[in-house]
Amino acid sequence: MLELSLFSALALFMLGGSVAMILNTQPLFSAFGFLVAMLGLAGMFALLESQFLALAQIMVSVGAIVVVSMLTILTVNAKEENLPYEPYKYRWIIFSALLVSPLSLLMYKSMTLLHEEFNGIDVVDTKLIGSMLFSKWVLPFEIVSVLLLSAMVGAIVIARKKRTKVEER
Amino acid sequence: MSTFSIVVAVVSLILGALLALLTIPVLVWLERRIASLIQDRLGPNRTNIFGFRLGGVVQSFADVVKLLLKEEYYPSHINMGRWLFMLAPVITFVAALLAFMVIPFADTLMINGEALRVQALPVGFSLLWYLAIGAIGVLGVIFGGWLSHNKYALLGAARAGSMVISYELALGLSALAFVVTYDSVDFNAMVQWQSGVFWGVVPAWGILVQPVAAIILIVALFAETNRNPFTVAEGESEIVAGYMTEHTAMKFAMYFMGEYVAMNTASAVIITMIFGGYQLPWVSTETMLTHFSTFALALMVAIPLVVAVLIRWMRKNNTVRPTVSTDGGRGFETKVLSIALVVMTLFLEAVLLYLGFFAENLVANTIAVALFQVAVFVVKLMLFNIFFIIIRWTVPRFRYDQVQHLGWYYLLPLSLFNLLVTAIIVVGVTS
Repeated sequence: MLELSLFSALALFMLGGSVAMILNTQPLFSAFGFLVAMLGLAGMFALLESQFLALAQIMVSVGAIVVVSMLTILTVNAKEENLPYEPYKYRWIIFSALLVSPLSLLMYKSMTLLHEEFNGIDVVDTKLIGSMLFSKWVLPFEIVSVLLLSAMVGAIVIARKKRTKVEER
Repeated sequence: MSTFSIVVAVVSLILGALLALLTIPVLVWLERRIASLIQDRLGPNRTNIFGFRLGGVVQSFADVVKLLLKEEYYPSHINMGRWLFMLAPVITFVAALLAFMVIPFADTLMINGEALRVQALPVGFSLLWYLAIGAIGVLGVIFGGWLSHNKYALLGAARAGSMVISYELALGLSALAFVVTYDSVDFNAMVQWQSGVFWGVVPAWGILVQPVAAIILIVALFAETNRNPFTVAEGESEIVAGYMTEHTAMKFAMYFMGEYVAMNTASAVIITMIFGGYQLPWVSTETMLTHFSTFALALMVAIPLVVAVLIRWMRKNNTVRPTVSTDGGRGFETKVLSIALVVMTLFLEAVLLYLGFFAENLVANTIAVALFQVAVFVVKLMLFNIFFIIIRWTVPRFRYDQVQHLGWYYLLPLSLFNLLVTAIIVVGVTS
C-alpha cells in the first residue's frame, strides 16, 4: 500500500512536471517542471531499490542538464514580449503526442524485455556496474560515447567563430 | 530490527540534524568574532539573556528574532512567480542540509553481531549522494536570482551557475582519484581506510596519500560553497548582494543559513575524505576497544586539563575594563558556567572510571568509544570551519575571470593528470 501510494505520488510529479514543462511560456518555469519530472524519476529508481541509479539520475539530470539549461535561459533572459506567438500550440502538442506514440510502444516493448538480462543480480554496487560496462556491455557503451563525441564536435563547429571576408584580407 | 538498531538510527538522525542546525548560530558568532580578531576589535559581546552572554553567541539568536520581525517585501513585477520566489531559498537550504546527512559521525557500531551505521541517512553511496544533492543547491540560487527581475540578481545567479559548472568537474575528478585510492564511494569505508599508517609511522590520511587531489578538493569545495576568495555570486563592490538582493526577512535568512550549512557540510566532507574523519591518527577503533582501560585513563587525565584551561580563559576574558563600575552579570555568568563545567567533568570521570576499571561490558565500551569519536569529529569540524573563516577574512577576492581561469586552465587539467597517475599506480600495485 505504501509502495503504491509512493508510486502514484511520484508518477503524478513526473506527469505534472512534464506537462508544466511543455505548457509554460516562461522558460524558467519550464525548467522547474523538468526538474520536478527528473526528481520524480530519481524517486522511481529509489523505489526500485536501485540507489546508484537514483543518485546518478540526480547527478546527471539535475546537476548537469538542468543547471546548464538554466544558465542558458539566464544568459538569453528573454522578456515576456520577446517570446514567440503560438496560436495553435495545443493542437500541435496533441498532434506530436500522437506522432511519437509508436515510438513509445517500441520503447515499452524493448524495456519490458530488458529486465530478463539482469535477473541473477541481487545487489547492485558501483564495482559491478563498472565491470559490466567494460566487459559485457562494452559495445553499446562505446556506441553511446561515439554519439556523445559527435554531439560535442557538432557543438564546437557551431560555436566556432565564422571567418568573415574582412578578417581574411 | 532490534531495539539497539532503532535507537542508533534515531540518535544518529537527531545528531545529524543538531550538528547541521545548531552550528549555524555558532558559525555566525565565530565568523564575527574571528573577523573582529583579525581586524583588531572585539565583535559582538553584549547581547545577553539574564546576564548570560556565552561569549556573544546570544547575539545570533537576537538576529533570528530581528529577521523574523522584518517586513516581507516582494518586487512588484513577480506576478505569477511568487511561490517559486519564496521556494528558491528553501531549495538552497534544504539541499545543503540533506547533503550533510550522509557524513559518518563515528565508526560502525558492532552490537551483538549487528553492524549499525552512525550516519543520519544510512546511504552506502555517500560520496555520490553529496555530489548529487549538493548540486541541487545552486538551482535555488538561479531561481531566486532570475525571479528578482533585477540586473544584479540576474548577474549573481548566472555567475553562481557558471561557477558550479566549472568547479564541479575539478571536484568530481579529484573525488574520483580518492575513490580509486580508497576503493569505495562510502564515506565510512574511506575513514576506515585512513585509520591505517604507511611507512610505519605516517597516518594514511588523504592529504598525505593524495596531496594534489586533496588541494584540488579543498579549492573546489571553497568555490562550490561560494566562500572567499571565490565570492563571485555576491560582491558588494560589483553586484551588491548578488542573487539575494531582492530577498528580505526570513527568505534572506534562508539563503544566509544555507550558506553556513553548505560551509559546514564542505568542512565535514573535507575532514571525512582527507583528514581521517572521526579517527585520531594512529589510534583505530579496534585499538581503543582492546585497550579500553588505557583509553579511559588517558581521557580521565585529558578532560580535567582541557576544562581547567577553559575555566582560566573564561575568568581572564569574561570581564570589563577596570574603569567600568558594573560588570553586568559577567562574574555571575563565569561562576555558573564554571560550576556547570566542573560538575560535568566529575560526572564524566565517574562514568569513565566505572566503565574502564569495574564494568566489563563490551556494548557500553563500544558506545563510549563512539561518543568519543563524535567529539573528535566535532572538534575537527570546528577547526576546519575556523580555517574557512580565517581564509575569508585574510585573502582578497579573485576577479570573476580569474576564478574561471583557475578552474578551467589549472584545476581541471591537474585533476585529470592526477587521476591518470593514481589509476596507473593503483593498477600497478594491485596487479
